[in-house]
Amino acid sequence: MIKRSFFGIAAPRLTYDNIEDVRSEPVSVEPKQRVTLFIDAAFKNAGDALIKKGDSVAAGQRLQLLEDEPAGYTVSPVSGKISEISPFIGMMEKQRTAVVIDIEKEGGEAADNGFREVSQSPTLEGVARFLDVLPGKPDLARFTDPHRPVKTIVILGADRDLMSVSSQYVIKTGVASIKSGIDILRKLTGVQNVVLTVAQNQVQAAGSAAAGVRSVDNVYPSANPEMILRHQLHEQIEQGGIALLTAEAVAAMGEAFNSGTMPLEKVITAVKKDGTRKIVTAPIGTQVSDILEAVGEKVQAGDRLIAGGPMTGAALYSLEQPVEQDTDTVIVQGKDIIVEGTDTPCTNCGECVRICPVNIPVNELVRYMDAGEYEQAAENASLFSCIECGLCAYVCESRIPIFQFIRLAKHAVNRMNAAEEANA
Amino acid sequence: MPNRMKLTVSHAPFWHDGSSVNTKHYNIIAATMIAVIAGLMQFGIPALAVLALSVGSAMAWELAMNLAMRRPVTIGDGNAALIGLLFAMLMPAVVPWWLVVTGTLIAVVIGKQIYGGIGGNPFNPVVVAYAILLVSWPLYLNFNAALVNYTFDFNAAYPLMLYKSMGPGALESFSTTDLLLGRQTGGIGTTFGLGLIIGGIYLIARGLIRWEIPAAFLVSMFVTALCFSIYDPEVYAGPGFHILTGYTLIGAFFLAPEDSSSPVNFVPMLIYGALGGFLTVLIRNLGAHVDGVIYAILIMNLVHPIIQKIRPKAMGRIMHHA
Repeated sequence: MIKRSFFGIAAPRLTYDNIEDVRSEPVSVEPKQRVTLFIDAAFKNAGDALIKKGDSVAAGQRLQLLEDEPAGYTVSPVSGKISEISPFIGMMEKQRTAVVIDIEKEGGEAADNGFREVSQSPTLEGVARFLDVLPGKPDLARFTDPHRPVKTIVILGADRDLMSVSSQYVIKTGVASIKSGIDILRKLTGVQNVVLTVAQNQVQAAGSAAAGVRSVDNVYPSANPEMILRHQLHEQIEQGGIALLTAEAVAAMGEAFNSGTMPLEKVITAVKKDGTRKIVTAPIGTQVSDILEAVGEKVQAGDRLIAGGPMTGAALYSLEQPVEQDTDTVIVQGKDIIVEGTDTPCTNCGECVRICPVNIPVNELVRYMDAGEYEQAAENASLFSCIECGLCAYVCESRIPIFQFIRLAKHAVNRMNAAEEANA
Repeated sequence: MPNRMKLTVSHAPFWHDGSSVNTKHYNIIAATMIAVIAGLMQFGIPALAVLALSVGSAMAWELAMNLAMRRPVTIGDGNAALIGLLFAMLMPAVVPWWLVVTGTLIAVVIGKQIYGGIGGNPFNPVVVAYAILLVSWPLYLNFNAALVNYTFDFNAAYPLMLYKSMGPGALESFSTTDLLLGRQTGGIGTTFGLGLIIGGIYLIARGLIRWEIPAAFLVSMFVTALCFSIYDPEVYAGPGFHILTGYTLIGAFFLAPEDSSSPVNFVPMLIYGALGGFLTVLIRNLGAHVDGVIYAILIMNLVHPIIQKIRPKAMGRIMHHA
């Protein structure tokens, strides 16, 4: 954890990490007993579900939850038996379904899920039936939105949060796959204009990817997509129609079409309590406990386990929680380094205002949010300009959870607007 | 699930730079110490009594309000102690005990707690308390009267009082070096200018106060006083005198940059500081009061919410319009 320096006249600068500093060999992790997969659809009634407890599942099999929701699916990376299907409430009341699959090593014949056929004569709709669950979570629905035709594809190859080197690893090892991914995207979508953004140290490595390469500054939050668009891609913004994809997703697409099977291995940077890092590859759905065992880290009561980076990740409440398509980092923080919050109100010191990369009047915003005036916050204090980098809460003297507060406020306003639209 | 391990679960971000309100207050208290110790050496035991009573009573009022309002006890955050300390620094060394206790009551209760405690006060609590006392019991706060029993090896007249009544011609007995090194009368913690400057620079270097406010305050004061003195040097004293006497330095480094009652954006901070310095000289040269710092800061606290409206526009989101 980077602390405030003794001389604090200038705002602190947090810099992204360089993959060259992570010297250990990548570790490949196999899930031990079970995997947990999430489907982005609400599980209401077991009778409606297309899958049920006790079903046998083959590796690569597509699992759709409901007949009428084709977008609510996942693909199993292992063969085994479904041991549990249960509703799961994600961040900000997101309704999801957790599917637990007990691994059975025997009888693991690869399933013919129809992807091979699709990959031979691909269409955008056909591909979207499978590839939404690739590591890196590509948003393929963006290409079929008739109101906002895509003119430029921006591939994000720099790590978005601190500590992580996962995206850099993908660029370092998978430029060939990214290149074939880009070819397929061009063919499928007809969009010729592709920009690849990478960390400064990888501009050369990314050169052969057959796309316009842009380097991203190494001061956090430069690699935030909003910041990249704002500072790097003015012409593209003027043309309108930008689709964002992670480099990992594009590389996985390239691999999928080259091999005819879906790659479901996720690259993860595992950070141990002492700050050392290891790059891990593991199937999506692998429990965090399996990963920690592989990198040799023991977790004790009171420690904090984080899926995602130190600024924007989410704390896990159980070692049985899985890595997902967008879990680039798994961090273990020892009990002793956790900074506890306080109940001090905002003192108007202005640290947040000075560090905010998009000039939000955070001190005013906090006052509106404290009073529950979320709509006022959106109107008068630029709530929706927030790019969710977490820097305000990082420097807050009163240790107010500003970042979480902002997410809640946005969620509350969105919910209000949705309710108004529904009643209109 | 049986014997599940309990992990710490919280919200992002999971890093914090380690700063806290408590350390900030204790650091500001530490930064005042050079000036305070110099004051104690100059004024002796009576000054120590005022300091101790002021800090103690301010903390007692804070605790009493916490208990009465059934709020978390906040005397540990150092803010009440800091208020008491700064208040005592403004006081003459000889002052009735009840005046100190009343002053801290006003500062902590009326200045801060009734607005909801730390961060809620629209005015600097210390400045509010001093202003009310100055209106109510001006005689006790008159340095010439309060320090009448002291003998000093320098001119014992309060420089600003002398300036007000006799004009700049009477100030020849004060050299700039004397003023800087505390060879003047005044509040317990306000006479040793060098100590206040060192404390202020320490706070600025640590990032604990915003440098723009004291810088703008002092520069503006210098320029305004210079203009006056160029206009008529017979009637108006030069900028050096204004900056090194009265409450100027404690005001610039410790009172004006108080978090809650001052702006945080760059341009508003400059305006806030500059207008404060300008008003101070205006009150000293043209107004009825001897020292203008207290009222200048009070007025600037009042207009801070308006100048705070000058701020850079937040950058809009792009993805929503793309």
